[in-house]
Amino acid sequence: MDWRPTILSGGESRSDDQIMAAHEPKAAKRVSGPGLTGGDGEPLVIMELLQRLRVKDVMRDHDIISVVRTDTMHFAQNLMKRNHISGVPVLEGKRLFGIVSINDIILALEGGWIGDACQKHMATNLVVLEDDMPLAFAIKYFQNYTFGRFPVLDKNRDLVGIVSQRDVMRVLMRELTNELTKLEGRHAASPEVGPSSKSEAVRPYYSMRQFIVVRNDLSNAGKAANEIKKMLGEAGVEKKIIRRIAVAAYELEINVCIHSLGGTITFILEDRKATVIAKDKGPGIKDVEWALRDGTSTANEWIRSMGFGAGMGLSNSKRVADVFDIHSTVPTGTTVLCEFNLPEKA
Amino acid sequence: MKIADIVKTLEGTLVAGGDSDRTVGTVVANDLMSDVLLNDGDDILLLTSLASDQAIRTANIVGAMCVVVHNAKPLPQTMCQVADTLGIPLVSSPLPKYESCVRIHDFLKAEAAG
Repeated sequence: MDWRPTILSGGESRSDDQIMAAHEPKAAKRVSGPGLTGGDGEPLVIMELLQRLRVKDVMRDHDIISVVRTDTMHFAQNLMKRNHISGVPVLEGKRLFGIVSINDIILALEGGWIGDACQKHMATNLVVLEDDMPLAFAIKYFQNYTFGRFPVLDKNRDLVGIVSQRDVMRVLMRELTNELTKLEGRHAASPEVGPSSKSEAVRPYYSMRQFIVVRNDLSNAGKAANEIKKMLGEAGVEKKIIRRIAVAAYELEINVCIHSLGGTITFILEDRKATVIAKDKGPGIKDVEWALRDGTSTANEWIRSMGFGAGMGLSNSKRVADVFDIHSTVPTGTTVLCEFNLPEKA
Repeated sequence: MKIADIVKTLEGTLVAGGDSDRTVGTVVANDLMSDVLLNDGDDILLLTSLASDQAIRTANIVGAMCVVVHNAKPLPQTMCQVADTLGIPLVSSPLPKYESCVRIHDFLKAEAAG
C-alpha cells in the first residue's frame, strides 16, 4: 500500500472529486511523523509502540453511525444528539462522500436549511487516515488539526473505521500496561542486566544505540545518522572516517524509511571498530545482487522528488564500509551490516 | 569565497543556519542526495533545487559549509529549523541553478587569479 504520510487524500486514487486532498486553513502547516528516533529522547518502549501499532489497531470499526447523502441535516442532528457524537460520516455503501459536523448543524439552524439534504451542506474537503499508517501519524494529525476524530480508509479507499483521541488513548494505555508488565517481569528475572550494571560500566570504549526508523517518515529520516555522526565526533574519531560511517548510516536509514515497512538502525562503537546495522521488518529483497547494482531501484516518484530513490543507497554503503554484509528474506526483511575499522588511539 | 560572497553573488538571502567564516572548498550542484554523499570533497557548497530537510541533513553528513536553494523556492519551516539546529548556513536564491553555477565558477576563477 503506497500511502504518503503528508497527504491525506480520500480522493487521490478516485476519479470523483467529492473528497479532496485539501487542508483546512489551520491544517496548512506541515504534517509529519513525530520525532521517533532515540535522539529525540522518547522512551524506546513508546517509540516502538507508536511504530508497531497501526491505525487499524486503534480505530473503531463497528457500529459506525452514518447518514446517506439524501438524509436531511435535521436527521443528522437527531442522530448526533441521540448518540452523543459531534459528527457523522456521509456514506453510500462503504464510500465516504463527506462529513456533517456539529458546526454544520449550527450553521443550518442559523441559516434555516436544517431541512436540506446533507449532501448540500456536508464538508467534502476531508482529512482522512489510512488503516495501515503507523499510530505515530494519527497522533501527529491530532496535534496538527483541530478535528476530534478522523475517518479511516483502506487501500480500496473504502471507509473502514473512525478513530478518535479517546480510541488512541484507550489502546495506548492498554499496550503500555502490557509492555510495563513484561519489562517488570524481565527485570525481576535477571536483576543483574541493565545499563547501570557493572559489566557495562567497565567497558570504556563500548557504546551502543538503537534508532527506530518509521516507514515513509522522511521528515525524520537522517536523524539517526546525524546522531551517530555526533557520537563519533564526541569520541574523537578522525573526520574522514566519521564521514564514511555517517554516509553508510544515512543511506541505510533512508533505505529502511523508503523501501521497508520500518525497522531500526543500530550503532555500536568499540575501541577499534564501529558497526552500523540496519534491520527492517520486510518486505525483503528478491534479488540482492540486482539491488546492489548502482542505479537499480524500486522507488516511486514521491521518493525521487525528495532527492532519493536513485538506487545508490546500498552500493554507496558498501563503497564506504570496510566490511559489508547483507541478508534478505522475502517477506521477513533485510539486515545490512557495515563495519568500519578505527585506528588505534594515539 | 565565504557566505557573504555567496549571498551577494547569487542575489540571495541567508535564511537560516547562521553565518560562518568557512570558505568554499568544493562546489556540488545536485538534487540527488546519494550523488552528494558520493562526493569526497571538503567544505562543500551545495547548490540544489531540493527544498527539504534532507538537503540539510545530507549537507551535514558531508560536512558542507553552505546550502543554496534556487528559483526562490519556498523553504519548509522544518528545513530552516534543521539548518539552525545543525548550524548549516541556508541561502535562498532567486536564480536558476545553472545561472548560479556560472556565477560561482566566475567568482572562484577570479578569486584564484587574484
